[in-house]
Order: sequence, then structure tokens, then C-alpha cells
Amino acid sequence: MNFKEFQNQSRLYVIGALETEELEEFEKARKKFGKKAEDYIGECYGLHEAFALSLRPAKSSDAIKDRLMTMVRARKEA
Amino acid sequence: MRITKSRTRPFSVTPQLEPGAPCDLALTKAIQAEDPDALSQLYDRYNGILKALILRVIHNEAEADDLLQEIFMEIWNQAKNFSSQKGKPLGWMVTLARRRAIDGLRKKQAYARAEERLQNETEQQPDAWVHNSTEEEIVLSDTRSLIRKVISGLPPAQQEAIDLAFFRGMSQREIAAKTNTPLGTVKTRLELGLKKIYDGLKELKGEL
Repeated sequence: MNFKEFQNQSRLYVIGALETEELEEFEKARKKFGKKAEDYIGECYGLHEAFALSLRPAKSSDAIKDRLMTMVRARKEA
Repeated sequence: MRITKSRTRPFSVTPQLEPGAPCDLALTKAIQAEDPDALSQLYDRYNGILKALILRVIHNEAEADDLLQEIFMEIWNQAKNFSSQKGKPLGWMVTLARRRAIDGLRKKQAYARAEERLQNETEQQPDAWVHNSTEEEIVLSDTRSLIRKVISGLPPAQQEAIDLAFFRGMSQREIAAKTNTPLGTVKTRLELGLKKIYDGLKELKGEL
């Protein structure tokens, strides 16, 4: 696998769309390209942000936040 | 792809903050130091985005609320494991939320139910990627509208393949079966679509 092919696979990898047999080859290439590969995969995770930000924010109830903060403060004091 | 340039300009589409507001990284570091107010601020900033993401996966309002609470609790508990060298806080939170939502969907074996709901919502929901005919009527934030512009520029088949992979956690084989499309075609659609989105977002970065 050359680096261009690795880049293609990386974008599939970060969204979990690589098939099992492709994953093995991908991991081999990931090792081969080392830091360059890790940097590129890290960049590809930016796609996650983009997909989430493409959605219209949904409203959640105030009770959820109240419950969360009560749990967090209790956990901190424990 | 220009890797050298990428290294010096990390790929991110994080929306702009109001002047004086602490950045996501500062809030995450404060959470690592167990400051509940920082979590409260991060919640206010991103609960809407994360809930939208969860809803896109599980299509159930009450379950989405429960999961949202669990995810922010996990953010509080796992903040110490976050490393800014590996990415941005929002990316980390979205990855975590997506994984939890897809896990939740699978655990409940609710595919069939969600399928039916998704079908209904795809027909009704103006925010869906595919068949989005009323986008012009919606007032979108700058960031969102720019991202949506990139995504909506893809052919519908590529949008659908990415949507099923990202928001439903489907493998290429599952997408092929669901859309009655050859596996090779699904792979090509995903590769082409993701590359276009990736390249498009990099170009947009200067505008965000």
C-alpha cells in the first residue's frame, strides 16, 4: 500500500467503515508509515467534528444538565 | 494531499467562540483538574450538537437525553485520558458520543425499529443530508452552512453511503446489502465522498 492509498483507507478507518480484511493491511501500512500515518489519521478524525457540526443542534431538557451536575459534584466530593 | 501543510495547520472546523470565552482546550484542562463549572460550560456549548448526533443514530428523544447525560459523565470521568496532541476536545467528544450511540443502538438490537423511524424522519426531517429540499428555509450558523454546503455538493449516493457508515455504524457489506449495491461500488462511493468532504473542508478552513 502506498501513502496515497493509505490516506484513502484512513478516511474509511476513522468512520469505522473498513472491513476486517482491510483492517489488517491498514495496520501494516500504519506501522510502515509511522508518525506520518498517525498525523494523518489524527487529521481525519476532524471529519467527526464536521459531521456533527453539519447537524442542526437539538434541544435537551434542563433537567438533564441539573442531574448531570448533581452527579458530578457528588462524585467530586466523594 | 499536502501533508506538510496539514501538519502546520491542523484540520478542524470548530465553530468560533464569543470574545473572552475560554477555549475548549482550556475547559478540558479545567475538567482534568476537576472543575465542575468547566464541565457546565462545555455542556452549554456542545450539548445541542452532541444530542443532534445521538438522535441521528438512535432516533429516540428520551434515550438520547439519557445517553447525553452518560456521555458528559464519561467526559468528566475520562478527561484525564484526553491528550491535545491527538486532536481537539470537540473531536474527542464527538468520537466518544458517536461510539456510545452506536453501541447503544446495537445493544438494544433496535435496528429494525430505528430503520422505520429513520425512514419516517428522512421524509420529514429537513436536516437530513439526503433529500434535503428545504435547506434554504433554515437559518444555519455560518459553520454549519459551510459544512453542509460541502456535503450537499456530493452525489446523493455518496451522501447516503457516508451517512449510513458514520451515523448508523454500518460496514461496507451492510451498506451494500441495505442499498442493494455491489460492494466495490459502495467502497468507491465512500472513498470518493470522504475525499471530497475532506478536501472541501480543508479549503473552507480559512473561511471558518
